[in-house]
Amino acid sequence: MKRKQVISLIAVILLLILAFIVSAITGSLRVTPLELISGLLFGGHEQVEIIKDLRFPRIIIAIFAGAALSVSGLLLQAVMRNPLADPGIIGVSAGASFMSLLMATLLPTLYFFTPLFAFLGGALGFFLVYALSWRGGLNPLRMVLIGIAIHSVFSGLAQALGMQGSSLISSLTQMNSTLSMKTWSEAETLVICGSIGLVLALLVSRWCNYLALEDKTARNLGLNVNLMRFVISMIAVLLAAVATSVAGVFAFVGLLVPHIGRLLVGSDHRILTPFSILAGAALILIADTVGRALMPPHEIPASIIMAVIGGPVLIILLRKSERIYGN
Amino acid sequence: MEIKQISYAYDRTKQTLHSISGRIARGKITTIIGPNGSGKSTLLSIMSKNATPDSGQVILDGKSLQAYRAKELARKLAVVHQHNVAPSDLTVEKLVGYGRIPHRERFASGSEEDQQAIEWALACTNLLGKRSKTLDALSGGERQRVWIAMALAQKTPFLFLDEPTTYLDMYYQYEILELIRRINREHGMTVVMVLHDINQAIRYSDRIIAMKDGRVVIQGEPEQVITRETLLDIYGMETIVRTDPEAGLYIVPVGLGHVR
Repeated sequence: MKRKQVISLIAVILLLILAFIVSAITGSLRVTPLELISGLLFGGHEQVEIIKDLRFPRIIIAIFAGAALSVSGLLLQAVMRNPLADPGIIGVSAGASFMSLLMATLLPTLYFFTPLFAFLGGALGFFLVYALSWRGGLNPLRMVLIGIAIHSVFSGLAQALGMQGSSLISSLTQMNSTLSMKTWSEAETLVICGSIGLVLALLVSRWCNYLALEDKTARNLGLNVNLMRFVISMIAVLLAAVATSVAGVFAFVGLLVPHIGRLLVGSDHRILTPFSILAGAALILIADTVGRALMPPHEIPASIIMAVIGGPVLIILLRKSERIYGN
Repeated sequence: MEIKQISYAYDRTKQTLHSISGRIARGKITTIIGPNGSGKSTLLSIMSKNATPDSGQVILDGKSLQAYRAKELARKLAVVHQHNVAPSDLTVEKLVGYGRIPHRERFASGSEEDQQAIEWALACTNLLGKRSKTLDALSGGERQRVWIAMALAQKTPFLFLDEPTTYLDMYYQYEILELIRRINREHGMTVVMVLHDINQAIRYSDRIIAMKDGRVVIQGEPEQVITRETLLDIYGMETIVRTDPEAGLYIVPVGLGHVR
């Protein structure tokens, strides 16, 4: 590993730890960082116990949703060989969100299977984008335009469901965009499915590197390009779907984090993937904490903070990084 | 390698290749020439299993290409494609190391043999000094040599190159051609390439396959294939074909023969 990569990885780990501590002590209930750490290590601190019950599920969800969404974006970018692929923009997250809402409307008793339905919805969205933009190859521009169209169809449908559905549904649509009122059981779903997806993503990081070559070149090296594409896509959809079904739709994370990663640690997925996990986790956690701290007792959803900050940051990065993507 | 009555249609309306047959001689350099759209690149992609023929087959070492597993084929046949992309921050050595993929078991790391093959490929292509450079720090000619080195690291008996000299200036073009000839002469690699320049094809090939409209017009040694009549037929060009005591056989295009 090069020095810059090591420094970047250490920096992002420290950032994540810092974000964790700040997030845990921010809110109406106040403890000092020291109290928090000793309370966590040795127990017995009453307020820290309350924080553990109320804030930790939310913190864990922010961490895993951020990690899952950024890695999902990274994987989609590798599969489509397109730096603009992001589950929150090209219809994967919207598909997942729509499908879980639809199932909650039609079969509310199957609530337990929400992540599965979200996965099917995300896979549907991905398949539509891929199939509709395929014309002997994937043109990056066409893919993004079709992705945006699919995204707006699915999010429109989801909103329509929210309009006329039961009170359960409308509360679902609203809550989907914020991380408040999260319970341990929701955190558990995300941690289990998310961890599986993240481990799989780390295992296929070498494949992601190979996909940066032309298909023909990879094929003549004896690689099964179609199989690699399919497996990586399904991991990406799993990550986006499970994050969406618990934390809602976030745009930009999957775009922004891998982009920062490529600038800092380069294009080798064996380093870029772990970096994206850490940076994505830190980013959403910071966004959520800022959203809670800005005007208490009101909360600004993390997804809104992400959209407002993420847009300009992306523009700055794109202007700076012409070298990476060329023209 | 034997090509048996290959037919292929890129889409249903237009046949691209019409019942092509031929034989690639072992240890020789064979060059496919022909005008744009004559099917030479298509033929090369069928011969490297990047496209599946509608009928006919390609036989490599007594076995149809379709019966080969991808890795097995990649140990027999390496291809340098015309258009290549790779991350610009990838180092020369890493990319050349990709050539060892077909020799590796899944999840295994590099062996002594892998490292030797990489060293050899870097030495052949004169890239030993550039091994830790990233791709964006190389010139066009060097980058083309890196792709050839990656193919060499596969240690295959067959090497295919699709228009290896495109986009390069004259010096780099001949550097690549000399390199290809050296690999062929010193290591007995069988080379098949697609070229546009007839004089380069004459100078660097043992055999030439001339194509037009998805058919093979004539194949054989350069002296048999490259005649005024053949060139008029396949390119529609008037040419002067001469033999010079120093330069050997060469052609000079002098005008359009007929309207295409």
